[in-house]
Amino acid sequence: MAEETFLSDDLLRQLVSVGEVDLLVGISSHDAVKTVGQVLRAIEQSFQQHFVRQRVVIVLLDGGEEREDTVIETIPETSEEKKVRVPGITSLRTIHRVTANFSTPPTAGIALRTILAVADLLRARACAVVSSSSSNLTADAIGNLLRPVYQEKFDFVAPLYTRHKYQGLLMRNLLYPVSRAVFGCGIREVFPAEWGFSGRLATYCLNTNVWHEEAIRAQPEAWMAITANCTDYRCCQVFLGEKSPPRKGSPGTDIVEVLRQTVGTLFWCIETQQQLWMDRDKLQPVPTFGPAYQLTSEPTDMDRHRIFEMFRSGVTDLEPILSSILDPETHAEIKRMVSLEEGKFRFKSDLWVRTLYDFAASYHHAVLNRDHIVQALAPLYRGMTHSFLVEHADSSPAEIEAANEMLCSEFEIQKPYLREKWKAKVEVKS
Amino acid sequence: MRETILQGLEQAYGNFVHMVAEFLPHFLVMLIIIAVGLLVAFLFKYILRAVLQLTKLDRVSEEAGASRVLRMAHLPAMSEVLSRSLFWVTWFGFILVGLSVLGVASLQEQISRLLQFLPEVIVAILILFLGIAIANFLSRAALLAAVNAGYSSARIVSWAIRFVIWILAVTMTLEELGLARQTVIAAFSIVFGATMLGLAIAFGLGGQDLARRFLEKHLEGPKTGKDEEPQPL
Repeated sequence: MAEETFLSDDLLRQLVSVGEVDLLVGISSHDAVKTVGQVLRAIEQSFQQHFVRQRVVIVLLDGGEEREDTVIETIPETSEEKKVRVPGITSLRTIHRVTANFSTPPTAGIALRTILAVADLLRARACAVVSSSSSNLTADAIGNLLRPVYQEKFDFVAPLYTRHKYQGLLMRNLLYPVSRAVFGCGIREVFPAEWGFSGRLATYCLNTNVWHEEAIRAQPEAWMAITANCTDYRCCQVFLGEKSPPRKGSPGTDIVEVLRQTVGTLFWCIETQQQLWMDRDKLQPVPTFGPAYQLTSEPTDMDRHRIFEMFRSGVTDLEPILSSILDPETHAEIKRMVSLEEGKFRFKSDLWVRTLYDFAASYHHAVLNRDHIVQALAPLYRGMTHSFLVEHADSSPAEIEAANEMLCSEFEIQKPYLREKWKAKVEVKS
Repeated sequence: MRETILQGLEQAYGNFVHMVAEFLPHFLVMLIIIAVGLLVAFLFKYILRAVLQLTKLDRVSEEAGASRVLRMAHLPAMSEVLSRSLFWVTWFGFILVGLSVLGVASLQEQISRLLQFLPEVIVAILILFLGIAIANFLSRAALLAAVNAGYSSARIVSWAIRFVIWILAVTMTLEELGLARQTVIAAFSIVFGATMLGLAIAFGLGGQDLARRFLEKHLEGPKTGKDEEPQPL
């Protein structure tokens, strides 16, 4: 088998002693050593509470110097965790734990490929990948990821979270609307921190020849979500509760890095999976367990002025780059907006849609280095963020949801524009 | 007397006929070589153009920013420039070979010098092209990084990088061509050194506040107490 070529002998030895399993949960320990112990305990509690009779295994991917045993031993159980533990309930089966050791921290792509290969070898029926930095993850949340696959025969389970209304704006204003309009993908979190999947989907993804691609090495989850949604695998969404905030200094706090990892991967999916979207206009409905959205609105104090200034200076300084990427009409409209006063500035949704479709088409035609194209989106994303903060300062969650639905519709209406730009020849003046 | 003149004329005519008889075949050979060269050059041009279009060189050139430079210089696309260059280099080579068939001693010497110089010209053009492409790529990367980090002098940083790499590329090109080597190296050292010194002084004297703000921002965090931007994910 192909997977045997890259799994280490040590890991294979551990897998042989485990045998076949029903449930598998994979976790990387290197990216959040402080919280991995907490997440591991949540996984074990989930098995003890929800899957008492099932054969289970936890796959730990370790790429740092500190080994997981050390990590777990050094983190004491908190009083909250002790309260959560249900006395008297314990798994009837051994909770196996296997560790895949890497000399250096594995990329997200290598980590997922290893988990898929292990799932395939152990013939796991339901699997989940969880992030070790998800400190808010509970045993119930992990159970919610595994149950639809194990009991309801779903193939992909995407999470839904409670968020502050200003959190996740990239997801709400770009990633979800674009993936929904282009691929007909109704999954809101196409870049989930944790998700569930079936053994069937794991085998399919494992045998797809994409693992050498840079986009897949960096962020494979969107590709998996879109593939599952567009190739007739059964998908659903489950509500998991509050989303853990990214750690300070992690790539999740750097907008440019996040854009490169998420928008870059999404554009790559659009580029490489044309056959899935070019002639498709139908939205694939995704059943949802729990509320479809839950927004909180505690007062926060964003530096709107700085965001606007970064938008303004960015559009001005990047003019030669943006002129290569954007349609002349779109570019002219954006330049006109830059001259407006901060108070009068609004990024209209139709302009935002055309801007993103121009970026996607330019990425396809490679009018510039593709990484540079994605980076050039940052000032425009800041402009959209500023506009959102101003427009929805007093909006209720329902109003924000309605505005998001309108934005998604705008993306769907303007999809022919993307097709037209996509098929247009690149003008190389002679 | 009359006979001597006639004999002289006859000899001159004989010499002329002999020269023409000797020159004409060489001249015809030269014309044939040039004509064959023209056909070969056309063939090379079309083959190269087809290969470059298959390899999508124009797209790579667009990505690297080289096409933009070509457009600024009112030149055609990269694949066209290269295929036309191959055409002219090939035909020029055939013309030189054809001329050497004429057997003119002084011309032959010049031709052999030109032929020796040709590889250096090609390498020099390649160095210049690579230099321009690298300068464009790096200056754009610097511009994006500086703009997205919110630095106010992003364009200056970008232009400085482009300028320094251009100077380096031009110096290397002239060095390859062997034109005034000592002068070029000395000029480069002076320009490069002066630029760096100028930048150091400018940053040292003019950038004190900037450096202080930078350190404050990174060591103490934002003074306003506001979150800079909402979490994107």
